[in-house]
Amino acid sequence: MTDSVAQVTFSVPRMLVDFTGGQRRFTVDAQTVAGALSAAERAYPMLRVHLFNESGNVREHVQIFVNATDSRELPSFEVPVQDGDEIIVLQAISGGLPPHSWGGGRAAAGGADLN
Amino acid sequence: MGVMLLVGTAKGMFILESDDRRGKWSSRGPYHKGWMVYGLFADQRHNDPAIYAGVSSFVYGPHVQRSTDGGETWTAIENGPKFTKESGRKLEHIWSFAAGPEPKRLYCGVSQAALFESRDDGLNWSLVESLENHPTRSQWVPGAGGLCLHTLIPDAKNPERMYLGISAVGCFRTDDGGKSWAPKNKGVQPVEADQEVKYQGEVMRCLHKMVQDPGHPERLYQQNHLGVFRSMDAGDNWERCENGLPSQFGFPIAMHPRDHKTLYLIPQESDEARMFPDGKLTVYRSLDAGDSWHTIGPLDAGNYAGVLRDGLAVDSLDPAGIYFGTSSGQLFGSADEGKTWQQLPGQYPRILNVKAVVT
Repeated sequence: MTDSVAQVTFSVPRMLVDFTGGQRRFTVDAQTVAGALSAAERAYPMLRVHLFNESGNVREHVQIFVNATDSRELPSFEVPVQDGDEIIVLQAISGGLPPHSWGGGRAAAGGADLN
Repeated sequence: MGVMLLVGTAKGMFILESDDRRGKWSSRGPYHKGWMVYGLFADQRHNDPAIYAGVSSFVYGPHVQRSTDGGETWTAIENGPKFTKESGRKLEHIWSFAAGPEPKRLYCGVSQAALFESRDDGLNWSLVESLENHPTRSQWVPGAGGLCLHTLIPDAKNPERMYLGISAVGCFRTDDGGKSWAPKNKGVQPVEADQEVKYQGEVMRCLHKMVQDPGHPERLYQQNHLGVFRSMDAGDNWERCENGLPSQFGFPIAMHPRDHKTLYLIPQESDEARMFPDGKLTVYRSLDAGDSWHTIGPLDAGNYAGVLRDGLAVDSLDPAGIYFGTSSGQLFGSADEGKTWQQLPGQYPRILNVKAVVT
């Protein structure tokens, strides 16, 4: 792991720009992916609410890419970052009514819940 | 004086405004564009009324938004309702808000069903452990709409008493300011797969919406999954009151602000179909505290939508205004207690919530 601090560009989807001062892109200084995420959360605390679930894991339908790599494929968030790296938050493409939404009490992603 | 309608939809929130004649309406929004807006509440206890919105997304989860300028600008609440990692629970939607007994106290109900409270005008929220640890908790099973705590009714006279309603679970009442909660579902049919009553427990009642008669606070009314019920003794006992209705099934129920025998319902055909009976959008009114129900309408034929549990609202002007939004995004209003109706301007996403605020 390197000790040098890198400048990383963060990119968020339009749904989240109300929580990032209206910015789709901003930069943070960090040594690792975890550090970059923490720096982004310190600057914009609502990102913690909307990117991570109660268990502290990335929400099921949120994708966080580090450059071209899905963060779920990283060995950990402790991997170092370099100047110019990008962390890109995307909304996973998903939809329809999964079977468990019927009677299972969980509304469907992209679908209409029954209430 | 005028009326502001807060309209929560599946893809944002809209605000409609009119003067006290309520004939011409202007619309603004969407606010929280792309987000579902379930819970809506205007806290008019302060000089600067605050509007609270429960905003959620299947992708990004829920949070509370607060506005102190009539909905023009909003602030996301950072320390909003949340479950701990250890709870194993998931926060899905913010369904309901209510004012507490002190000026800065607020409550909100969420799915998965839980109650949160704030003692600082909604800036910080904490879980109400007494309900979370309720002895019946293991019997709470979600229905098709999820396990949602959708109804909060602070008692109109007793500050220590409050009612809450949870879908597929039922009614609870506290008489000690929230320290303890008692299920209040006696007389309400439990939900069972084959509709034969075998369950002898105190919950598993699919309460869809409940209202209190503010002039006679011991009187409660509920539209349930399995019928319409009323209680004359603060929820201790319930009885059916469905005479004249085309169906037992529906979601919303509302009370007239002054006439304590007048209630409004908008039934649906059945829990299988979930649409207006025979395609006729019809409001039903009772003028005798639920003894009988009569149509005011139909307002629209060939309409196969529905009205969801928070989609019906009544204002406090005289005569009272009645408003509702449909699951297909139409808004209707009456400024004369149901004698005449108009469709309000705009075609909206699926309407989840309508609140009428006298300004």
